[in-house]
Amino acid sequence: MTDGFAKILYRLWPGHVIGEVLSKRWTETAIPVLALILIVVWLSVELPGFFSPASFPEMFRQAGEIGLVVLGLSLVLIVGGIDLSVGSIFALSNFTALLLVNVYGWNVGPAIFVTLLVGAALGAVNGFLIGILKLRAFLTTLITLIVYRAIYELLIQQYSTQITAGTPDSAVWDFLGIGNVYGVTPAIAACVLVAVVGHLIITRARVGWHIMAIGGSRRAAFNAGIKVESTIALCYVVSGILSAASAVFFAARLSTVAGEVGLGLEVTALTAAILGGISLGGGNGSVTKALLGTMIVLLVRNGLINMSVPGGGTRMILAVILLISAVVDIKWNRNRLKLLNKVYVSPTYHELPPAPECSPQAVGPYRMNDRLADVETIGLGEVEGPEDVILDRDDNLYTGTRHGDIMRFLAPDYKKVERFAHIGGVPLGLAFDKSDNLYVCVGGMGLYYVTPSGEVKRATDETNATLFSIIDDSRLRLADDLDIAPDGRIFFSEATIRYEMHDWPVDALEGRGNGRIICYDPRDKRTRTVLRGLHFPNGICLANDRQSILFVETWNCSVSRYYFDGPKNGKVEKLIENLPGYPDNINEASDGNYWLAISGMRNPVFDLAQRLPGFRKRMAARLPADEWLAADSNKGGVLKFNDQGEIIDSLWDIKGRNHPMITSMREHKGYLYLGGISNNRVGRYRLPGADPNYVQSVRRWGSR
Amino acid sequence: MALFKALTDKLLGHGEASIAVPILDGSFKPNTLLDQADVVGTFESPSDLATDGKELFLADGNAVRRLSGGAWRDFLTAEGPMTALACFDGGIAMAIDGKEVRIAGGRFDGKRWSAVNGVPFVSINAIASDGQRLYISDGSLTNAVDNWAHDLMNHGCTGRVIVLDPNTGSARILTNGLRYAFGAMPIGGKVWISETWRHRIRSVGQGDEMVLDHLPAYPGRMAPASDGGVWLCLFARRTQLVEFVLREAVFRRRMMKEIEPEHWIAPAFRSGDSGREPVQAGGIRSMGVLKPWAPPRSYGLVVRIDANGIPVYSIHSRVGAENHGIVAVAELGTDLFVLAKGPRRVLKLSIGNIEKEVAE
Repeated sequence: MTDGFAKILYRLWPGHVIGEVLSKRWTETAIPVLALILIVVWLSVELPGFFSPASFPEMFRQAGEIGLVVLGLSLVLIVGGIDLSVGSIFALSNFTALLLVNVYGWNVGPAIFVTLLVGAALGAVNGFLIGILKLRAFLTTLITLIVYRAIYELLIQQYSTQITAGTPDSAVWDFLGIGNVYGVTPAIAACVLVAVVGHLIITRARVGWHIMAIGGSRRAAFNAGIKVESTIALCYVVSGILSAASAVFFAARLSTVAGEVGLGLEVTALTAAILGGISLGGGNGSVTKALLGTMIVLLVRNGLINMSVPGGGTRMILAVILLISAVVDIKWNRNRLKLLNKVYVSPTYHELPPAPECSPQAVGPYRMNDRLADVETIGLGEVEGPEDVILDRDDNLYTGTRHGDIMRFLAPDYKKVERFAHIGGVPLGLAFDKSDNLYVCVGGMGLYYVTPSGEVKRATDETNATLFSIIDDSRLRLADDLDIAPDGRIFFSEATIRYEMHDWPVDALEGRGNGRIICYDPRDKRTRTVLRGLHFPNGICLANDRQSILFVETWNCSVSRYYFDGPKNGKVEKLIENLPGYPDNINEASDGNYWLAISGMRNPVFDLAQRLPGFRKRMAARLPADEWLAADSNKGGVLKFNDQGEIIDSLWDIKGRNHPMITSMREHKGYLYLGGISNNRVGRYRLPGADPNYVQSVRRWGSR
Repeated sequence: MALFKALTDKLLGHGEASIAVPILDGSFKPNTLLDQADVVGTFESPSDLATDGKELFLADGNAVRRLSGGAWRDFLTAEGPMTALACFDGGIAMAIDGKEVRIAGGRFDGKRWSAVNGVPFVSINAIASDGQRLYISDGSLTNAVDNWAHDLMNHGCTGRVIVLDPNTGSARILTNGLRYAFGAMPIGGKVWISETWRHRIRSVGQGDEMVLDHLPAYPGRMAPASDGGVWLCLFARRTQLVEFVLREAVFRRRMMKEIEPEHWIAPAFRSGDSGREPVQAGGIRSMGVLKPWAPPRSYGLVVRIDANGIPVYSIHSRVGAENHGIVAVAELGTDLFVLAKGPRRVLKLSIGNIEKEVAE
């Protein structure tokens, strides 16, 4: 495949979508959805007219009734228990409703209320025994299944003739049983309402999270301070209420107190829950899964009945479907993440012009030297991962470490070090604002700042989400570097939205424009994304015109300018292209120019691999991460450039002994301080002829 | 059936299509013994060592040098670069530029060969003798000695082992069609051959069998050891990335066309100094440390194999160290001389010390 063809193909092909979709939790339900589709297709073929609008009300009515029970049972399954007594509670609630309406002539409203209360009470017995007395769920609900059914049979012996004789004269009651509005029956309406409310509670309310946590690990939830006992009891009560609600619609529809009411309902409901993908172990489940399972069970049962399959045959087929579905679902959920790891990395075509010469014999601005070989080291072995360094007005040196600390080395000899603040995550870019607050981009967390007294505060950790992005890009995964405009606005880069802080090197393999630049305004506390689709934006520096920022795109080996003010507001211009290495941070120099850190060198094999996405994809899938091709971060250096993008000077550590990977440099009072994210020291290099009084905070914000 | 298995193997990455590489374990467990060796000389372009049991000879560029009394003296010069060396019957057998084998000194002074069965030699890279005949290995019919990386990347399979008889002046092919031959050692009636790109040692004569298969590195020349076994030089280790690239035709073709050979993804004799060679993620310095078990572009490895073909122990120079690219060894007295082509040095170790260290 020629390069040109590959370029077009990869620009159009949204290969990254597959991995992103797989990473969403809702793909866990892929198998039940597939099963449902297959069943619908099969039924439409075998029984033409099965899905005609005329049959919808009946189908929905049954779906609503069973659905309510399944929802209740699912809740109990999610919390880690099981409720085998739903059928018996259904029967007793059915009896109660009919007794009140048919025999005692109550109004529908109070009758329903008391019926639900009965369901709650029956469920509460389960809840008390299982949640508070900590009896085994299976055994306990089996016992209540037997006991409640026994009570039901005793009661119907006494009242059945009276119930069947009574004829309530209530339009509401009739409507509940057999009415519909444009095909929507009350049962399905109630079921959908409960489903929506239930979904919101499970996914967004605290009690819902507690239920999921208890199901996941009861001991861990207890240790975390969750009220395990009362929450479990509550779930059984809710299950009882929902079974009772289902019984209300059943009672209104059939008005029967036969012995088989609710017999085997627990098996049907359990089948539906498991077919939907809710695991018996707990901690995993959703309303969608419950409803999917309900639909599958309903359609299969009704379809088979319409095909005149005898009752036993229906149950057998349902059991076989259950078996197959359970096996496939387990395999899918076990392997989904493994598949995701293989599929998520989606390299694309990325071309760079041939790298400029930079060997010691080369001609040109990039000729390598060994000037950084003799740097002083500060904090050797005492800091790990000082990605950026900054000095305050009193010459103290600050840097972040990979343990989430901001360390402060005290002037003038930087031999004493103390922990200035602990933020967490991985602190990256640093900048002081006009009140000497230290703003930090923290990888894995967002934009934070530390007050001069050492107090840590959060500036922002989210931005506006993009409409058609599958990945939730309102979160900040890798806030990298920042700078502050004269009016206080903070521009910071987010290197990539597809990868987290700990696997950012994988983004190098992709070569996609996954990054963006974001603006946070402390005056109104609003955050918005200003530039998207950048190739790993990294260093940010306010330019001399104070109307634009210079930013680096690491995998593009380029420096660009973005205007945030003035007549060119919003425009982006390329300043430097085709650097010989991968640039990282930019900071200003004392003489009106800028310093640029080169964190690694390009090599021909890696550049070729960037033009062969298929090769990189197979490499990412088949080789362990240790063996992947990477940028050569064992050599690095610092460049100096001006506002026209001309390289004026360069400093290299050609052997990479002290500073193999330079990610940042800061000029301060005649010295250049070097930082590296994979290094365990800060470097200090004497700049001959530099302004010995230069302090960045003074240049930006004036003297105190 | 076999075809079907080959097809599924290729699809799933099993069997022959697997890019897994054996780990260094057992007798191959890493150590740093090669780095503790004494350096007895650094040269311009050394290529082979030879010994007659009394003195040590080194092929360096166009010349042969002799070590006597701790100093190196010129011994003889030829008109082309030496690619192999051996002591034979009072004289020296050498290969000039991979194309001609010549004997100088001793009973068979002046004998020379440059072809067998009409096919000329292309890359003679090793000579060994059993006292009566010479066993030479011709690495490839399409690539010269220095272009061995081209041969690997092109899946070369034209290596051959030739037996030269100075008494009759004849040459006969012992075996050919090898995936690169880099060393043939007569031992106990058979001939052990290093089939390099297949990372194995084969034994020919009285039946064809495998001596050592699934080596974690590329085998090179062998030298006789005092108890009947051999010392085996492995000039570079296998990595999963190289194995992967060997199975990626498009990438390999473009790499060979657009990039210089010293910057390819391929094993090398030395690494770490060129600014433009490929780097693997595990080979990046972290907190000031380059981990010794990083994926190796170059490596130093010599293995002691006993007469039954069982590896007994090995001496290593790991990633980050310097003595890589071992292409020749010679056992002389109680010392082992090692030629490391990466730093272009001859190293000396005491065998007694080695055995004491590996026994611990």
